Amino acid sequence: MARVYVSSVVSAPADKVWERVRDFNALPKWHPRIRESRIEEAHPSDKIGCIRNFQLQSGDTIREQLVGMSDHEYFFSYSMLEGPMPLWDYIATFRVTPVTDGDRAFVEWSAEFECDPANEDELVNGVGTNVFQGGFDALKRHFGG
Amino acid sequence: MVQVVCSTIIEKPIEDVWALLRDFNGHDQWHPAIATSAIERSLPSDLVGCVRRFKLQDGGELREQLLTLSDVEQCFSYCLLDTPVPLFNYVAHVNLYPVTDGDQTFWQWKSRFTTPQGREDEMAKMVAQDIYEAGFEAIRTQLANG
Repeated sequence: MARVYVSSVVSAPADKVWERVRDFNALPKWHPRIRESRIEEAHPSDKIGCIRNFQLQSGDTIREQLVGMSDHEYFFSYSMLEGPMPLWDYIATFRVTPVTDGDRAFVEWSAEFECDPANEDELVNGVGTNVFQGGFDALKRHFGG
Repeated sequence: MVQVVCSTIIEKPIEDVWALLRDFNGHDQWHPAIATSAIERSLPSDLVGCVRRFKLQDGGELREQLLTLSDVEQCFSYCLLDTPVPLFNYVAHVNLYPVTDGDQTFWQWKSRFTTPQGREDEMAKMVAQDIYEAGFEAIRTQLANG
């Protein structure tokens, strides 16, 4: 089992950060590596079980299924159904937690997956750096720091 | 049931913060409200179930029991057994998380408790400010000077 964990601090209240990321169909709006996204079968994007089908800037297509979401705890979890990377049993969670002594939010993005051990370092680094940290950097730019 | 959640960012790596916090008998070394601390029956302070006895700066005494401690997840929880203030069924959790894109630590300190009707706000404010936020500042100062 490979694991990825990336976390950061965004200079905005948790509810504002959550508002920006909670839409499971909104990756193109806030993540620079995603070109376009749609929810299959026209389901609402917060229906647990809905599938997002999106294109990376590279042209690759990924399908991911929403498996959990909480507006109370500010997190969502999803699994990857199809994608260009040589991995399987991929489950990820994005979580936003308030920092109560300032208008900041602690954000965490983690994943677990199976892969060929020979590819593990490269995949962990690719997911952690390009996808997760890339997303956090975009959020930090958006919210100014 | 009253719930209190406080959190902060400490500008030090999680290992440094955890090294100070994990000693259940060491809080008198940094928390301004606590004068002395001792573990009853000379048990090790990382033995789950051990009881610490605090003397507070104001002369009060309280006893707290360690419920969980994890070096993997850098967290512990404890409950109040005896207290001079009306905090009942008090269970608290201390959780540390690394901020991986900076050498920082996210520290969350939270609890649930019951208290006589009408005193909820007073007790919640006391716990949040005098215990948790005062603890954040004390650790921040200690690590900055260390």
